Amino acid sequence: MELLTDWVEWLPRLLSGLWVSVQVTVLALVIGIPIGFVLAFMSSARNAIVRWLTIIVVEVGRGMPALVMLQMVYFGLPEAGVVLDSFAATVIALGLTTSAYTSEIIRAGLRAVPEGELEAADALGLKRGDIVRFILIPQGFRIALPTLMGFAILILQVSSLAFTLGLPELLSQAYSIGASTFEYLEVLTLAGILYLVITVPGGWLVENFEKRLSKHLA
Amino acid sequence: MDHFLAILSAVPVTLLVTFAAFALGAVIALPLAGGRRSRFAVVRLLTKGVIDILRGVPPVVFVFILFFGVGSDLIRWEPLPAAIVGLGLISAGHLAEIYRGGLMAVHQGQFEASAALGLTSTTTFSRVIGPQAFRVAIPGMVTWLISLLKDSSIVSTIGVAEIMFVTSQGARSSGEGLLPFIIAGAVYIALGTPLAALSRWLEKKLSFGRRA
Amino acid sequence: MTDPQPKAGETILRLNDIRKVYGDHVALGGVSLDVKRGEVVAIIGPSGSGKSTLLRCVNQLEVPDSGTLEVLGSNIDFAGRVSSADLLALRRKVGMVFQSFNLFPHMNVLRNVSFPQERVLGRSREEADKVSRDLLERVGLANKMENFPQKCSGGQQQRVAIARALALEPQIMLFDEPTSALDPELGLEVLAVMRRLADQGMTMVVVTHEIHFAAEVADRLIVMADGAIIEEGVPSELLAAPKTARAKQFLSAITDR
Repeated sequence: MELLTDWVEWLPRLLSGLWVSVQVTVLALVIGIPIGFVLAFMSSARNAIVRWLTIIVVEVGRGMPALVMLQMVYFGLPEAGVVLDSFAATVIALGLTTSAYTSEIIRAGLRAVPEGELEAADALGLKRGDIVRFILIPQGFRIALPTLMGFAILILQVSSLAFTLGLPELLSQAYSIGASTFEYLEVLTLAGILYLVITVPGGWLVENFEKRLSKHLA
Repeated sequence: MDHFLAILSAVPVTLLVTFAAFALGAVIALPLAGGRRSRFAVVRLLTKGVIDILRGVPPVVFVFILFFGVGSDLIRWEPLPAAIVGLGLISAGHLAEIYRGGLMAVHQGQFEASAALGLTSTTTFSRVIGPQAFRVAIPGMVTWLISLLKDSSIVSTIGVAEIMFVTSQGARSSGEGLLPFIIAGAVYIALGTPLAALSRWLEKKLSFGRRA
Repeated sequence: MTDPQPKAGETILRLNDIRKVYGDHVALGGVSLDVKRGEVVAIIGPSGSGKSTLLRCVNQLEVPDSGTLEVLGSNIDFAGRVSSADLLALRRKVGMVFQSFNLFPHMNVLRNVSFPQERVLGRSREEADKVSRDLLERVGLANKMENFPQKCSGGQQQRVAIARALALEPQIMLFDEPTSALDPELGLEVLAVMRRLADQGMTMVVVTHEIHFAAEVADRLIVMADGAIIEEGVPSELLAAPKTARAKQFLSAITDR
C-alpha cells in the first residue's frame, strides 16, 4: 500500500519528466528524418565524391554511441563558440543520430521497391522524375515505415541518456527523487513502467504494421 | 595524446562488458525463445511479457534499477557485475526475438518432413531446424553485438571504468569538451567497423547459401 | 513532325540484327523480326532462348548492344545513344504486360489505370477515370475499381495490367508470358481478353507457353532457341510439321506433358 501512495505522490513529477522526454524525441525525429531522407538520396548519388562523403558521414553517425554524441554536442560545441542549453543540445544530438540511422532505413526501403514495378512504370513511358515522385518514394517510404516507427521508439529510450546533461526528463526526475528518498528501486521501477507504457504498445503497433505490409507486398 | 592513451587503456573493459553481456544474453535467450513457442498459452504470454519489458525499458534505466534499486535495497554489488547482468538481460530479450525470427524462417515443411521421416524432436531441432534457424539468425546477432558495443557506453553512468567513463573524466579534468569525445567516437567506430564488415559478409554469404 | 498514318498491313515494327550479350552469354545473336499492323505474333521457345529479352528490347527495358529498331516510322540505332525523349515517345506507342503483373500496390485498381494517363498523356483526372472505367468494364472488372491490387486474384490483376497499358492507346502491345504466373483457370480469363483484343485488330507480340492460344489466335508463330529465331510460319502448319530438329524436340517436349 505504501508503494502505491509513494507512486501516486511521485507520478506528477515523473509525468512532467516523461513529457520532456517525448518533446525531445519528437523534435529529434522532426529534424532528423528529413535530413535522413536527403542523406538517403545522396548516398546513392551518381557523383562518387558526394556518395562516399555521405556514406562516411552516415557511418560515423551510426557508429558513434548516442551518449558520445550527446556529450560532444553539449560539452564540445561551446569550444566552437556555440553554447546550447541541455534541451537544445539533446534535440540536436538525437536529431543527428536520427538522421544517420534513418537514412539507412529509408535507403533500404527505396531499394526494396520491387524492380518489376519500376520496370512497369518505365514501360508505361513515365518520366524518371515522375517515377521517383509517384512510385519510388511513396512505395519506399511505406516499406520503411515500420522500421522508422521502431526507430522512433528506440529514440525515446535513448532520450533517457540526456539525464547526463541535466535535462529534466523522466530518468533525471526519477533519479533525483531516488536521491532524496533513498527509494531508488521503487521510483526507478515506476519510471521503467512509464517508458513501457509507450514502448510496448508502440512495439505491438509496429509488429501489426509489419504484418500488414508483408501481406501487402506478397 | 594523453586522452588517447587513457581511452585506449579502457578498451578492454568495454570489450569485457560487451562480450560478457552478449554471452550471458545468448544463453538466457534460448529458454525465452523456446517459451515463445510453448504449447501452453500462459508460458507464451509470460515470456512475451518478459521480452517486451527487457526490450522496452531504456538500457540505462534498466541498469539503474539493478544497480541503484536492487543494489541498495537487496544486494550490494559492484558496478561491473551489475553492468554485465543488466546488459546481458537486455541482450537476452533482443536475442530471443532474433532466434525466434530464425525459427520462423525455417519452412514448415522441414518440420513435417522430419516428422514423416520419424526423427525424434531432439534430432529434429539439433540437426534439422537448429542449423537452419541459426543461419538466418547470425547476421541479426552480429548486428545486436554492434549495438551492444555502443550501448555499453551507458554503464559509465554507474561508474564502470570503460571508454566513456575515462573520456568524461578526461574531459572534466582537462577542461576540454570536444577532443576527448571525438577520440572516444573514433575508438567506438574503430571497434565497430570490423564487426559491421563481418555482419555484411555473413549476410551475403549466408543468404547466398540459402538460395543455393 | 506528325506521324505518317500507316496503312493496314504495313510493317510497323522492324527489329534488325539485334544483338545482346551478357558477359560471355549471347542472349540474342543478331535477331531480325518484322511485324505488320494488326498482326498477332506468338513467340515460343525453351527458357533461356532469348524470347523475353527480344520482347524487352522492343521497348528498351533492355538496351541491345547493336542493331536497329523501327517503330511506326521512327528509327533507333543502338550503335549510338538513345535520347530520353525518343525513349519516352517509343514507350508511348508500345504497351507492355508482364508475367508478374507489376501493378502499383499503393494505388487502387482505378488509380493504377488512371495515373499513367494523367502523367504520360496529360489527361485530367476526370478524363482519365472515364477512360479507365470504360476499359475496366470491358475486361470484366467493373466491380473491382476501388480494390487494391493485392485484394484481386492474379487473373484480375493481369487484366488490370492490360487495361493500364491499353489506356495509353498504344499501337503495339507486348505480352511477356502473361499467363505463366497464373493457375490455368485464371489464365483463361486473361487469354479471353487477349483474344478479344486480337479480334479488334491490335498488333500484338506475345511470348507464351500457351500453344493452344498461339495456334488459334496468332497469325504467325516464331520458335526461338539459343538467342536466334530457328523457325517461323503459320501456326497450324508449323505445329503440325516443324522443319528443324530443335523445334521438333521443343514442341514434342511441351505437348507430351
